[in-house]
Amino acid sequence: MKEHDIYEHEVLVIGGGLSGLRAALASLEEGADVAVISKVHPLRSHSVAAQGGINASLGNAPKAENDTWKDHAFDTVKGSDYLADQDAVEVMCKEAPDVVLELEHMGTVFSRLDDGKIAQRPFGGAGVPRTCYAADRTGHNLLHTLYEQNISEDLTFYNEYFVTSLVRKNGRILGCVSWDFEEGKVVGFASNVVILATGGYGRIYNRSTNALINTGDGAMLAYDVGVPLEDMEFIQFHPTTLYGSNILITEGARGEGGYLLNSEGERFMENYAPEAMELAPRDIVARAIITETEDGRAFEDEFVHLDITHLGESKIKERLPGIRQIAKDFAGIEPVQEPIPVQPGQHYSMGGIDVDTFGRTCIDGLFAVGECACVSVHGANRLGGNSLLETVVFGRRAGEKASEQLDERGSYDMNMIQEKMEEDRRMIDALLNTTEGSPYSEVMGDLRETMFEHFGVYRNEGSMKEGLLKLKQIKEDYDSIKIDNENRRFNTALVRALELRSMIKVAETVVLGSLKRKESRGSHYRRDYPERNDEKYLQHSIFTKTEDGPEVDYEEVTITQFKVKERGY
Amino acid sequence: MRLRVYRYDGKEEGYDDFTVPDKEGQTVLDALFFIQEELDDSLSFRYSCRGAVCGSCAMLIDKVPRLACRTQVQEVKEEEVDIARYQALEEGKSVSDDHILIEPLPHLEVKKDLVVDMDKFFENYGKIEPWIEAKKGLEKEHLMDPKRVRELEDYTNCIMCAACFGSCPVNGEKEGYLGPAALAKLYRFHKDPRDKRERLYLADHENGWWACDFYTNCRTVCPKDVPPNLGIGNARRELESEEDED
Ligand SMILES: Cc1cc2nc3c(=O)[nH]c(=O)nc-3n(C[C@H](O)[C@H](O)[C@H](O)COP(=O)(O)OP(=O)(O)OC[C@H]3O[C@@H](n4cnc5c(N)ncnc54)[C@H](O)[C@@H]3O)c2cc1C
Ligand code: SF4
Ligand code: FES
Repeated sequence: MKEHDIYEHEVLVIGGGLSGLRAALASLEEGADVAVISKVHPLRSHSVAAQGGINASLGNAPKAENDTWKDHAFDTVKGSDYLADQDAVEVMCKEAPDVVLELEHMGTVFSRLDDGKIAQRPFGGAGVPRTCYAADRTGHNLLHTLYEQNISEDLTFYNEYFVTSLVRKNGRILGCVSWDFEEGKVVGFASNVVILATGGYGRIYNRSTNALINTGDGAMLAYDVGVPLEDMEFIQFHPTTLYGSNILITEGARGEGGYLLNSEGERFMENYAPEAMELAPRDIVARAIITETEDGRAFEDEFVHLDITHLGESKIKERLPGIRQIAKDFAGIEPVQEPIPVQPGQHYSMGGIDVDTFGRTCIDGLFAVGECACVSVHGANRLGGNSLLETVVFGRRAGEKASEQLDERGSYDMNMIQEKMEEDRRMIDALLNTTEGSPYSEVMGDLRETMFEHFGVYRNEGSMKEGLLKLKQIKEDYDSIKIDNENRRFNTALVRALELRSMIKVAETVVLGSLKRKESRGSHYRRDYPERNDEKYLQHSIFTKTEDGPEVDYEEVTITQFKVKERGY
Repeated sequence: MRLRVYRYDGKEEGYDDFTVPDKEGQTVLDALFFIQEELDDSLSFRYSCRGAVCGSCAMLIDKVPRLACRTQVQEVKEEEVDIARYQALEEGKSVSDDHILIEPLPHLEVKKDLVVDMDKFFENYGKIEPWIEAKKGLEKEHLMDPKRVRELEDYTNCIMCAACFGSCPVNGEKEGYLGPAALAKLYRFHKDPRDKRERLYLADHENGWWACDFYTNCRTVCPKDVPPNLGIGNARRELESEEDED
């Protein structure tokens, strides 16, 4: 550290999940001085929770020998309801086999076929088994591998630092400001390049499969310094999350033959998707469960049953051990004997920071990768197994590109950083000194409920307008939230309050985007406009910050080789 | 349910009692959040995934190291966990029937309330040089026998929560002992058929393989069923048989 609590590094990566660690490694290998800043130890990042796997057209599985990157790209574009940018999808699918093999060479213990090759499993929306996996702990294994590789390169980590602002000057990034949990003080970082890798914004919803820390901080940071956000209204909901904690119950449980039953004991999917039944696409099953709930056929007006008891004890123990463990640990239920209570929950944030295929934003030196970014490869709906892929493909590309730019820059500008530090110090002091008002937890609870109720699985004008009013109130309440303790060190309440600030700003864009997009596409389903409208909305929503809140504009989707068609399954 | 929670603010230490309403399926982590949100927002603890996968929330719950997010409040008193006793468990308040006792993980310095210094734990991990050194520049993946993969998984499943470190009597006595997790990790790399280097020697010293007294607390408390004790035993046998050959 130099004077005034400002650290200096050529490349600063904000976020220690898969995308951040992959970007850091790429820059390190190019010889740059790199540091990773993260609000939790990198191994605690949300990436660690990913279960199912990562897509690449390796063609290892029997019957998949002829798989190609083009097939992968087609499935991705179709799955996106044609909103993905096809040039970006091509980049991702072409590089997929290489990044996955590279991870294997770095030490990831992938599950194997009998012939010793990396095993691949079928996943929703894919024509052939294309998803490489490490049991049902793929994210865990990949994250540990990348952490190990970075340790071997002696990467610098700043763990438990919460980034509160980016600093820019005339279209160029200068660094960032952050809150050091342990010391309880504001510190600055000066750098040539900043790579945002802060993950998604799932926790603006009260029912979410995401880690509690996924609060959209990175999107807010970029938006605040004038970088547009893209397609924020597209939120993926998973149909089966455990009632109570909303921990993911993988599709595998239905894949193995599980039934969904309403409170009248009916396999209600008969009425929604008589052919595919429980295995219809995620959005369709999620909507069916909400309809059952609204029509009074849910248990306690909250959940339906996922019944796997008929599979028998031995099959459950052999094929679904993880699910059994989750049901036991988190709902106190033995799924061999009892059905599992499930309800739809938020699962993935398709929208994010507007970037090109190298992760570059419109600000010189500022990059974004992973779930916080929108390249856009997922469009209106992400396919399972594509987001882990996105983190490593675009993490690597951004890390490499970032290190190319280092020579062009002059010395660091400390004045601007100090000014921003002073500003954030005042903001934090104000938070700590407010003792009258609502506790952060109340306001956070209101926000999450509002988002799920009014901007959830089903949307319509009337309800969303109500939600908009509630959000206005929530914003006002935030201005007077109180913290009842003045500790500076490890002040959990303060960090939660800072997260809430991000959540509210991000939610505003989700709200605006949902209201303005008068069609249904992928995850965005409007009861008042149930059809897709390509003439008007085959367009990305682009959000920019103004004095009076966000503004939305529309931008062409890049279409290369795949013609826009109906998305039938 | 009543929770008796250890508190430390950098100056004073003590315990606070809180009453948390009973709720079906409530975990200790949920209860801590309830306290933090409704009763006393100065309480500090670590969390992230709330699903027993990230390793943030290991702490001493009724004198047993466990993940707060994986421990049901209603089951703490019913669950019998049989571990060998050690010094750290004799310190602080004792367990009683009318509340759940929540304390920071032993053998690591307390920073605030339930937040401990994990640096020492990760330094030990760093000492075993936890990265693979495999052949570079291959065009395809290394082929691996699925059986070997399943054996390795026993060790790769570790989430670095340090519950074992806090449960190990030897870690309490021997300041420099690498501890179960670091040794299990070293064994994982040693067993990886792709790894090209000698490894066992990295812990062939009094603070490594040879310090373990096989209390097996590590195995009992591990939330991921990792068996550090088995890895340590195997490593010792291999080293001993190498010596015999010399
Ligand atoms: C239950 C579940 C299962 C999933 N399974 C799969 C799967 O099988 N296949 C698949 O492809 N995808 C899956 N996904 C999606 C995938 O896991 C994520 O999209 C991906 O891991 C995101 O990685 P990331 O690096 O972008 O962000 P994250 O892993 O979320 O990391 C974000 C990082 O940013 C840091 N950070 C955030 N804000 C700040 C701040 N203000 N200051 C400092 N640091 C900050 C955090 O500390 C963290 O280190 C799953 C998701 C869920 C919820
Ligand atoms: S071996 Fe088990 S208890 Fe020890 S750190 Fe790993 S997961 Fe935690
Ligand atoms: S919060 Fe992640 S293991 Fe408990």
